[in-house]
Amino acid sequence: MTTLASPAPAAATRPRAAVKPVTLTRVVASEWIKFRTIRSTFWTLPVTALLMIGLAVLYAWGATTVGPEEMGAVDGASVITSGWYFAQLAVSVLAILTISGEYSTGMIRSTLAAVPKRLPALWAKAAVLAVVVAVVSVIAVALAWVAVLPFADQLDLSLDLGDPSTLRMVAGAPLYLATIAVFAFAIGALMRHSAGALAVVLGLLLVIENVFALIPLRFFELVSPFLPSTAGTRLLLTDETLDSMNRVEDAVQLSAWQGYGVLVVWTVVLLVLAAVLLRRRDA
Amino acid sequence: MIEAVGLTKRYGAKTAVDGVSFTVQPGKVTGFLGPNGAGKSTTMRMVVGLDRPSAGSVTVNGKHYAQHRAPLQEVGTLLDAKAVHTGRSAQNHLLAMAATHGIGKARVREVIEMTGLEGVARKRVGGFSLGMGQRLGIAAALLGDPQTLILDEPVNGLDPEGVLWVRNLVRYLAGQGRTVFLSSHLMSEMALTADHIIVVGRGRVIADAPVGDIVARATGTTVRVRSPQAAELEAAVRAAGVTVASPELGVLEITGSTAPAIGEAAARAGVVLHELTPLNGSLEDAYMQLTAQDVEFHSHAPLGGPAPAGQAAHPASPKGATAPLNEGALR
Repeated sequence: MTTLASPAPAAATRPRAAVKPVTLTRVVASEWIKFRTIRSTFWTLPVTALLMIGLAVLYAWGATTVGPEEMGAVDGASVITSGWYFAQLAVSVLAILTISGEYSTGMIRSTLAAVPKRLPALWAKAAVLAVVVAVVSVIAVALAWVAVLPFADQLDLSLDLGDPSTLRMVAGAPLYLATIAVFAFAIGALMRHSAGALAVVLGLLLVIENVFALIPLRFFELVSPFLPSTAGTRLLLTDETLDSMNRVEDAVQLSAWQGYGVLVVWTVVLLVLAAVLLRRRDA
Repeated sequence: MIEAVGLTKRYGAKTAVDGVSFTVQPGKVTGFLGPNGAGKSTTMRMVVGLDRPSAGSVTVNGKHYAQHRAPLQEVGTLLDAKAVHTGRSAQNHLLAMAATHGIGKARVREVIEMTGLEGVARKRVGGFSLGMGQRLGIAAALLGDPQTLILDEPVNGLDPEGVLWVRNLVRYLAGQGRTVFLSSHLMSEMALTADHIIVVGRGRVIADAPVGDIVARATGTTVRVRSPQAAELEAAVRAAGVTVASPELGVLEITGSTAPAIGEAAARAGVVLHELTPLNGSLEDAYMQLTAQDVEFHSHAPLGGPAPAGQAAHPASPKGATAPLNEGALR
């Protein structure tokens, strides 16, 4: 250990260190520093982007090998957002670790000692997470379009952002990923343990939602469309697909935005529950 | 200034802190002593709102901690050296903490220098030794240049130089009129550092007094007397409340009286004295005596084998054992 400075100098010579009141803006600044200074979690972001770009390229490349007769028309917006399924897993893991990592390391006590009102820390974390995931997804979708351009002529791909359906899908991918990240974050905040929260979120996204969608019993047919990811990803379906789904007899009728609204309700309810428990529980 | 009134914390059926009331005054170093499980850490956590009291309340500088607009300016806390994300560097940890209060980079550099962390500031905290973790915790506590410092076991894991540094630092801060509330297991260290001591045992305050009073009143004063006429002297000083022991031939250790009184009694009885020495008890003796009945986890003599279940804690009523002190001048 290096030698220690005598306590006399800076400890508290009269002009006291400039300290300002805690505000939500300052807590957001703090959470942004925290977010970008954990290397392991920060790296999931470029990985997410690469997954989205890579899957779009594979999808487009695959389509060229099959040929237009079998494949039918290929939708440009569908191609560049096709990586959402894997991307949601990466951002969910990132989201859970941003909060459960504080509990597992004890950092949460430092956080709550600095922000004893507690809730600003929760809102700031969720906001930083949502904005970062949205920005990275927008970049990923844009780069995915650039990456599939070599196949554009062959597949007759086009991307007209003036078309409402195309715009909805292209903007929907970042919106969906940011929301599912906050959804996973809320579960992480409720459970406070990385392993438990990961099991719940990944179990839901990978198993429960898919199983519910497959079981041809009335109960599951009625519940499945309202599960968070199944509902939220309606944003990423083409108008044609949505129409054909809603035409099925007795099927639950949800538009793309209604489906996304269901995901938002899930997220808000869980986040409010996490907020209530954060206020109540000992840290 | 920290004021606790009837502070209580229950975990299910177990009461960790049981109606504790005390005041920690500015301008002094107040030591917080007690056996493991006595409720020291829980009490400190309640002061800064990390644990919610089951009953009672505690304020810092007149307000609940959470009601301060800039809490880090009011209270700097070291509750747990490991309250830091292991994946982040020390400097980034401090910058993130500082950002919540708009504290600048210059102040972060200052506390890094003060705590001697320059060499490791950019390294990940996960690789820190216990001592470096403590220094980082102290750096974080000093960030807001706080009026009150709460330090739970600050010298735990520090090398002798670090221990001396912490002692000088807290004395210096108290000398500036700040409130310093410090817990430690190192009794000798506490005797050198603290002005005032609060002793807790099994969730209750056992003693709350200046260090000197605690030592004097808990151990009593013992006077060693050497005399060729020990038997006559023993008869001369015999009185209520005075106990006499004879560790060797011609030597008496008299407790409950004072050196002048013994000297006068000897003169009246015509007894020759070769030595008359007041012996000061140590804080450690005082502490052991105070907490003897309040230790949550008794250790047993190595040869005794494992204790039968149920015998581990409180064989006798702790209240009865400490009652004389509680009702005496200490409280």
